[in-house]
Amino acid sequence: MADIEKMAESVESIRLHLEAHNYICSTQIATAVYLAYHLQKPILIEGPPGVGKTELAKTVSEMFERDLIRLQCYEGLDEAKAIYEWKYGKQLLYTQVLKETLDDVLQGAKGFTESVARLHDFGDIFFSEEFLEPRPLLQALKHEEGAILLIDEIDKADHEFESLLLEILSDFQVSIAEIGTIKASAIPPIVFLTSNNTREISDALKRRCLHLYIPFPDLELEQRIVEARVPEIPPELRRQMVAFIQELRTLDLKKLPAISETIDWARTLLLLNSTSLDADMVRDTLNVILKFQEDIENVDSELTTLTSNARKATR
Amino acid sequence: MDQTLTEFIHALRNADVRISTAETLDAFRAVDLVGYRDREHLKQSLSMVLPKTEDEKEAFEHCFEQFFKINDLSSGNPNDADGEGEQDDNADGGENEGGGGGDAESGNNTEAAESGKGKKKSKGKPKGGRDVIEGVEEEEEDLGPGETSPAKSELGKMVMANSMVELTVAMAEGARAVNLEDIQVFTQKGLYTRRIMDAMGLEEMNREISGNRRSPNVPDRRLGQQLKARREILREQVRDYVEKQFLLFADSSGKRLREELLRKVKLSNVEHRNFRLIQEIVFRMAKKLSTMYSRRKKVFKKGQLNIPRTLRSNMAYDGAIFDLKWKSVKVDRPKVFAICDVSGSVATYARFMLTFLYSLEEVMPRVRSFAFSSDLAEVTSLFERNTIEDAIAKTLHDYSGGSTDYGQSLVDFKRLCLDDIDNRTTIIILGDARNNFGEARAEIMKELYDRSRSVLWLNPESKAAWNSGDSEMRKYGAYCHQVSECNSLQHLERIVGNLLKAVHG
Repeated sequence: MADIEKMAESVESIRLHLEAHNYICSTQIATAVYLAYHLQKPILIEGPPGVGKTELAKTVSEMFERDLIRLQCYEGLDEAKAIYEWKYGKQLLYTQVLKETLDDVLQGAKGFTESVARLHDFGDIFFSEEFLEPRPLLQALKHEEGAILLIDEIDKADHEFESLLLEILSDFQVSIAEIGTIKASAIPPIVFLTSNNTREISDALKRRCLHLYIPFPDLELEQRIVEARVPEIPPELRRQMVAFIQELRTLDLKKLPAISETIDWARTLLLLNSTSLDADMVRDTLNVILKFQEDIENVDSELTTLTSNARKATR
Repeated sequence: MDQTLTEFIHALRNADVRISTAETLDAFRAVDLVGYRDREHLKQSLSMVLPKTEDEKEAFEHCFEQFFKINDLSSGNPNDADGEGEQDDNADGGENEGGGGGDAESGNNTEAAESGKGKKKSKGKPKGGRDVIEGVEEEEEDLGPGETSPAKSELGKMVMANSMVELTVAMAEGARAVNLEDIQVFTQKGLYTRRIMDAMGLEEMNREISGNRRSPNVPDRRLGQQLKARREILREQVRDYVEKQFLLFADSSGKRLREELLRKVKLSNVEHRNFRLIQEIVFRMAKKLSTMYSRRKKVFKKGQLNIPRTLRSNMAYDGAIFDLKWKSVKVDRPKVFAICDVSGSVATYARFMLTFLYSLEEVMPRVRSFAFSSDLAEVTSLFERNTIEDAIAKTLHDYSGGSTDYGQSLVDFKRLCLDDIDNRTTIIILGDARNNFGEARAEIMKELYDRSRSVLWLNPESKAAWNSGDSEMRKYGAYCHQVSECNSLQHLERIVGNLLKAVHG
């Protein structure tokens, strides 16, 4: 069991521990984790795709050695898939089995009222926690050792779903009509929500969360990220390729390359045994970092300049 | 310190960052946790608790820089303050410094260098704000170096002790005592500067200065001179402080006041320089409306069966399927035809209505617009190809010539798109119905009325003026579902809001 209390004693310590798990981050991100842990508030993470929003939650779960429970959002996601559902099959099966014992239960009962009263004692069993199928959110709440709950791409879910989340996020509890309110175990989960900003998240939800915006990293930070993730890459090439990517982000592209693309590219270049960046090599591997033909064509014409710039910048 | 944070939040709200009470409480908890000591740390923490969008984060950044530059010095112990001063200098390269240390310090450095005396120059950055007043030793009467008597007045002591921290605290207290946050207009700056100085005990110091200057005793006279010089610098600093606070507290409330006014003023009276601001307001109104209405979806009662959901929800009924679930979700969106009179008098209104309609793209993707003065033409494609502003400018340029002819325009409209009008279409006509005594062709209006879901007529003239002179409002009005006066943003907002409500309802 990791000593979470000690890990989370300061922002710097969190940053170092994240780094030890190969997640290189700014102090802003470490501060977010620090606050989330101490204030017990969910973090809403926004930012362009591929800057490590989901990765942060995964790394924190590794770091704290807590289970990661992930809920991927999509249109049409509802209560039954996110919070809980009754085990209808089990209920039906038990009803069938118990049909035969029904006579025993009702034996000796005089009149209708008494029979119904006996059945009442009996019937409630079917809507107890035994028959409850916990879905990710409820699982996270009931987790004994406290879990990391990742609600991924909340912007893909419907507006109604956001409202469903409010109770969980602010009070760490769920109300189930048949049973009552279920509260979090002694250790409430640390909640991460991510959003790609395809639509505006409602104020009500934002109000209950810390809001962290992860932008593209700057040159130095990205260098360190690549260094941590692809340690085998020669330093010279690493400097050049990161400079190239940074340059690329200043262009008007349909989809800017993110960190995940930088890392993929670093692996690609490593595989091709290259030691420094040249225009032909870049042209051949451009499809790793740019995901639209349109973008590739746009960049192609300026490739030589960009490459030489990147080479110069590092000298 | 609590007061400081509350004030900061107030300033943020002024800068259009929406902060709820719950978030304020969160901010207090966060500050309890991280403390005020590390400025960068504090900023990062608060930036996650208070602002929740990118725009707000930007505003927050700005506010924080301004606000905590001043209050940093009034907090904590002197060492802290020094550290901060240094950090700020490095961060900002000395620009934009306030009542804190920077400005005064650099000023003194140059002054001291010029005078060539330089005997007690501030010793560069490490000592930061504390040496602020030291450098000024320019005596009118050369009394030579030597002892100076100790100052007696409270303020005098502080000034002579060069205690920047104490001074700043006194400044903040003074500001609080005179309610600096009530400052409204630019011209009040002088007034507030004087009041704060008074609150800090200026009068007592003045008496001391004049007393000392007349004193036969040389050390006393020396003190008098120094106090006087330092008083000027202090005044400078208080003015800077007021300036900053003014920016923080008053600037945006002034803007808000102006916006409030602009919402109500008649659009034709809006001065040209305010167009940009109006445009902004229109965008914001439209955004509000679209978030309000974009959520309405209704599940179809026909279409493809969502089998998993149906089975699951019917399991509770022993598998007998009678509660059906459908796959498609329908987003209800109005179809709007906007017909705008763009002749001279109505052009301004047309501008804002079109801005409004096209800003609502998210909830009303199917706006077709038509412009006319003498002849009518469709301008939808202009809006598809250009930005809203350009499209409007082009529309006004191309179609605003010629005298208004409603009859002809209606004929044109009928020819162009009568077939496209169905029972889901809303037609909005913006115009003053002044037909230059031409033929009204109200029968076309009747046709439109019969075919469409609703016809709205927006008239920028006030109701009293309708039907006077060449206005045909009575004839046209008979074939409208709704006729309203529309000459301010407020009207516009209400009408478009109703439109969305009606269509969605």
